Amino acid sequence: LKSFREVLVSSEPDLQKMTGLSRPDVQELLHAAASACRTRQPITLQLQRGECRRLESGLRLGTGCPVLDQLLRGGLPAGGVTELAGASGAGKTQLGLQLCLSVQYPVEHGGLSAALYICTEDPFPIRRLQQLISEQPSLRSDVPPSLIGRLRFSDNIYLEHAADLQDSLQVCLSRRAALLLAQGRVRLVVVDSVAALFRSEFQPGDWLERNKQLLTVSSMVHHLSHEFTTPVLCINQVSPALGLAWANQVTVRLMLRRLQATVSRGDQSSALRRLEVVFAPHLAQSSRDVAVWREGLRGVLD
Amino acid sequence: MFQRSEKNLWRFLVPIGVLCSDSATRFATRLSLNSTQPSVKSHLLEPDFFFFLLTWRSAGSTHSEAGVSQQEALEALQAASSGHGVAAVTALELLQKEEEFRSIVTFCSQLDEALGGGVPVGKVTEICGAPGVGKTQLCLQLAVDVQVPAVFGGLGGQVLFVDTEGGFQVQRLVDLAGAAVRHCSLLAEDEEQRVAMTTFTVETILSNVFLVRCRDYVELLAELHLLPDFLPDRPRLRLLVIDSVAFPFLHLHDDLSQRTRLLQGLGLRLIAAATDHNIAVVTTNHMTTRLRGSQAQLVPALGDLWGHAPSIRLLLRWEESRRLASIVKSPGHMDATVQYQITCQGFRDADQSEQPQSKRPRTQTDQSASSRENTRT
Repeated sequence: LKSFREVLVSSEPDLQKMTGLSRPDVQELLHAAASACRTRQPITLQLQRGECRRLESGLRLGTGCPVLDQLLRGGLPAGGVTELAGASGAGKTQLGLQLCLSVQYPVEHGGLSAALYICTEDPFPIRRLQQLISEQPSLRSDVPPSLIGRLRFSDNIYLEHAADLQDSLQVCLSRRAALLLAQGRVRLVVVDSVAALFRSEFQPGDWLERNKQLLTVSSMVHHLSHEFTTPVLCINQVSPALGLAWANQVTVRLMLRRLQATVSRGDQSSALRRLEVVFAPHLAQSSRDVAVWREGLRGVLD
Repeated sequence: MFQRSEKNLWRFLVPIGVLCSDSATRFATRLSLNSTQPSVKSHLLEPDFFFFLLTWRSAGSTHSEAGVSQQEALEALQAASSGHGVAAVTALELLQKEEEFRSIVTFCSQLDEALGGGVPVGKVTEICGAPGVGKTQLCLQLAVDVQVPAVFGGLGGQVLFVDTEGGFQVQRLVDLAGAAVRHCSLLAEDEEQRVAMTTFTVETILSNVFLVRCRDYVELLAELHLLPDFLPDRPRLRLLVIDSVAFPFLHLHDDLSQRTRLLQGLGLRLIAAATDHNIAVVTTNHMTTRLRGSQAQLVPALGDLWGHAPSIRLLLRWEESRRLASIVKSPGHMDATVQYQITCQGFRDADQSEQPQSKRPRTQTDQSASSRENTRT
């Protein structure tokens, strides 16, 4: 017996055998172990709203567009995994980049800190990022341009590349991401994309093994997200292959679809998209039309 | 001496035994308190041992398995059969007691009707469904509904919400609380109800919800282990929600025997909490695919043995654009399916028109409710 946790998962007869204690003493031991394992006492919500910011589930990361933020009631929740699904070319990566920028603003403008971007498939779209950066003043008209000018956007996006599931992604999440988050240097993690890893590595028949890996990855991101109160965005090509095992672990599922229509503004035109809330504990099922401009994704009001 | 097969059979009898009579643990506890021998007392606290005695009455075959001397076993058998210090409970009395137990409404009247009033107090109810179907929403709704004051037909109780998935959002609870307060304000007809509304506000609703976040199954086990200390200090607690039970146990997929054992213990604790402290226990569960030959079926997760723990199982699912709730397991109800919807105000009937019916209970229930209030310690 090495730790309190081991005590709790052992059965009473086993504990009696191992320690030679009597039944009431074993129960005392279990009781003490349980008290030690409990990280915090249950407290009522009224207290939590003011005092306990860790449990405050109201913390959100905005997207930079007020229409989309309204759809999401503030933005991505800070504790929990948000999945952004959609077909190729819908604009998921762009939304991911946009969030990597919006997170860098000072707290009073809806930001948190820096971002960690984990690529798995395509190379990192550096050109698009540069374009988004240069157009930030036109997207964020709510922030004084002098402040925007002072932010070093490209310096504050940590890039990682994970070529395969086992070594790269799991190591990256458990070591690099955890370290950056623990040091407070990063407060957003984007994984682009999750499905890519599973597609290439597994044959259709390797169902059990794939589920296991999925569980490991999803529990890692879940843990990181809650431990460090950090939004985690997992981008995913819509794939029936990921199925229930993955969906059960996702807190918020968003879907981005390309529509047939187009919309224009000045000299730019964009294919219209729809950003839809598929499920979320705090959001109703709703959607907004979205256009992709030079400065990024913006919700379109009717 | 025992054969291997007999030992296994004994293990099987344990969960069935607990299911047969949920006053068993109380019986055992009462017996132990009256017993003179301290060692007998501690043995009798184990519900396993108790049923073991009942099913293997031939003295001499009990002692070697339970680690008790023959003398102690005989004493225990005598205590059990003489009913020393225990009043016999008739079936009629049990029925009357059950009818006194109230239920927690879901605000979807069709579902409440199918359940015979709502989610029952004193039992374990499980809500299963695919992700996004509304399990957490229903739990949040129940966390608000349990607090509806007695003059409106509610329980005026508190709730302990154990969140293992991180799906609990205070903002959403605030929405539901606000809607419930507005609903009851519209219903308030007389002075008593209006006075009750002063203590039924969004702030008080929040203050009656105890939230615990468990990050893994060990923390969940620890929390449930400490329940017997937590509950007696809070006599107003009428609802325990665990959202979800499945999530922390997902990682034990490679050690199924340990998972089964832990789940079994957890199930027993939940049943004990429900019956001993007169609370409604609500758990949520995921769905998982099970391969039967070449067919894939959607079934509740955590296995068949866990399925014995809840008395009632509600299955929430989508059918095209409709949301359906089915009662798939219940000893007291017929299997039924109703349609529901989730609005910004919470869990509701499908296509509900805004017509609040009077929720004032009938006079008979008033009398029994008030007499129960007086006699409750």
